[in-house]
Amino acid sequence: MESLADTPWDVTISGTGLAQSLLALALSRSGKNVLHVDRNPYYGGAEAAFSLQEAEEWVNRVNSETGDHPFEDASVRLGDGSPEAGTQLSSSRAYTLSLSPQLIYARSQLLPTLVSSKVHRQLEFQAVGSWWIHRPGDSGDKRLYRVPGSREDIFADDMISVKSKRTLMRFIRHIGPPQLGAVEAEGEGSSLEEDVGDASLTEYLTSKFKVPEELHAPLLSLCLSQASPQQTSAQFAVTRIKRHLASLGVYGSGFGSLAVKWGGGSEISQVGCRALAVGGGVYVLNTGIQSLELPAEDTTNEDSRIQLLLSNDEVIKTKFVVGSNWDIPEAARLSCDCDRVARSISVVSSSLESLFPATAEGGPVPVGAVVAFPGASLGRADDSPPVYILVHSSETGECPTGQCVLYGSINMPGSDGQALIDLAVQQLLESAGGPNAQVLWSLRYTQLGRAETRSAQPANPVERLIRLPPPSLDLAFDDALIDTVKDAWQAIMGDEATDHEFMTFEDREGAYEE
Amino acid sequence: MSESTGANTAKPSSSVKLVLLGEAAVGKSSLVLRFVNNDFQENKEPTIGAAFLTQKCSLPTRTIKFEIWDTAGQERFASLAPMYYRNAQAALVVYDVTKPSSLTKAKHWVAELQRQASPGIVIALVGNKLDLTNDANEAAGEAQAEGEHEPSPADGDEATEETQEEPDVSNGDARKVPTREASAYAEDEGLLFFETSAKTGHNVVDVFTAIANAIPESSLKSGRGAGAGTGQTSLSGGRPAEDSRVNLGERGAATAKEGCAC
Repeated sequence: MESLADTPWDVTISGTGLAQSLLALALSRSGKNVLHVDRNPYYGGAEAAFSLQEAEEWVNRVNSETGDHPFEDASVRLGDGSPEAGTQLSSSRAYTLSLSPQLIYARSQLLPTLVSSKVHRQLEFQAVGSWWIHRPGDSGDKRLYRVPGSREDIFADDMISVKSKRTLMRFIRHIGPPQLGAVEAEGEGSSLEEDVGDASLTEYLTSKFKVPEELHAPLLSLCLSQASPQQTSAQFAVTRIKRHLASLGVYGSGFGSLAVKWGGGSEISQVGCRALAVGGGVYVLNTGIQSLELPAEDTTNEDSRIQLLLSNDEVIKTKFVVGSNWDIPEAARLSCDCDRVARSISVVSSSLESLFPATAEGGPVPVGAVVAFPGASLGRADDSPPVYILVHSSETGECPTGQCVLYGSINMPGSDGQALIDLAVQQLLESAGGPNAQVLWSLRYTQLGRAETRSAQPANPVERLIRLPPPSLDLAFDDALIDTVKDAWQAIMGDEATDHEFMTFEDREGAYEE
Repeated sequence: MSESTGANTAKPSSSVKLVLLGEAAVGKSSLVLRFVNNDFQENKEPTIGAAFLTQKCSLPTRTIKFEIWDTAGQERFASLAPMYYRNAQAALVVYDVTKPSSLTKAKHWVAELQRQASPGIVIALVGNKLDLTNDANEAAGEAQAEGEHEPSPADGDEATEETQEEPDVSNGDARKVPTREASAYAEDEGLLFFETSAKTGHNVVDVFTAIANAIPESSLKSGRGAGAGTGQTSLSGGRPAEDSRVNLGERGAATAKEGCAC
């Protein structure tokens, strides 16, 4: 095998999570010598997607390498799968389960980035349709209600009183028309700040619009806040509700957010890494950075290089090293200032069809749904954080037909949080699963990262060691990641950055066309 | 393509993900280049330039659109992870008929696919560089039909030392892997089998046509069926699976640029 030590590397990227893989994509036409390593035998880092067997191997890895992964306390549980036909687990590789499922709003900067870098054609995008809210104790055993997520929905809704509809419309009108670009508009920040101050969502909705309390939780679910309405700032919530509304209809009627088929972020990672491989980047899996030695001389000297000992015993020299805290040697890490959430992945024996109604005539068939369980609906205090379950149908390619994958999350790490997710899964199956619905297999873990309410620290370049901030725990793709990648790209490109446009490439296939 | 039937207006069209596998320098990219553009480049560099190409293959009853994933050189340090081939409905495992070790590697890939890939995957074993063997003369007639034949049989295929030898017809047989050995293995494992020359074009289109014909109807209905069983589309109520696909623009010419110009 060729020796890696022979090449004077410009950049060594460690880890193949979404941030590193998008950086790989950004550097894929730079002409730089890039070595991309990952100490794991798979691509995707914290965004990886696994078969059942790979998930079990991952559990062992996480539990035996404490501190080396943004995950803790992982465990697999087999359901009490009854032998009846249709309620059994399929073979391991019939599943592709994502550790960090995220929905991508149509207004996310990720999409134009994937399009301008010409990799979107290697990905398959699908629609996330309805939002549901759990509200027990109402009529019969119907416990899940569709959240009216658009103006049309509000008009059509038969659960909300006319008076409530009026207050809701007034609120939506007030926060602004879902004009293009309204979400990102920085200038608006100040007026929004003046408007809402530091009120909580509850205070803001009540005092300003008299929105009845029963509508607070549905509105909260639209912003995917992982705190209760009382603990969610109105400023945060309003910005995100605007994003929700502004994203509707961008790529087709009836939906505003997308999922990537075959495992979400892990597919995007794979595509980013392949783009760099095509551009001459060298890929080595199962190989991490063992130790790192900054150059003794002045690092402003263009040719000075960082020396790395790789876990395959090769010693290489590189100008830049990029990695998250979990991809670089312990001595080089920043102190971890991370938030923790409980997450679980459940494979269930029901297609849960009622959760994926067609949301518009002629629109795509939704493959994803969001179900929110306010703390109170699970028997907890009003200010207890909600459980979210992202439901993916078999159309996502993540499970066989007749089954679904439930991705549960709550901002409460440990067994308390896991117990609430369990409860939410049970409620969901009882409400929408049909008689044979049961959990066939589940994976539980604590995930470390940055809560959706905290803004990303900039990547931290010290002497050409670029440390990436912890991944976001947001249930929607966080555009701050694009900024992080751009910062790292700029640091690496230096003066050359002015001659290149970030993530804007021509089709490579074009070279072959007549 | 040569077997294009013209009247494909109402024919159902399905996308098929096809992955390429095999040792470095056996001619994987060249095969695809021949199939997609009917082109061949002498002394082609190790894969640079394409990792994803598409080509339609028109069958009498349907059109198959191959989404071809090249390895992008990631085989060099064994960094092709299972996700590369997990959702593929077809795989082309390539070896070099002049290099026995490449067949060993190909067998390794076949085993890996059987262990990791989608259960219904169609695998074709392809021995490439037939132009370097004595069978090249036989092949010539057909290759001319492709209109791309170059008369000199051995002026240096990509990265093979053997080709540096004098192109002496009586003495120039560089074959090291007997056809019978590879075809017997392919038969045992239930693989499609071809010997090809990306250089002359011999058998190249035939490989892809055979794969297109071998893809089971059921796996087409469900899009790329990741082992998703047989009975389909409970969700989409009989509509084709492509209904769940969201177009980000540029995918089809008609809808180019919509939506993403914000």
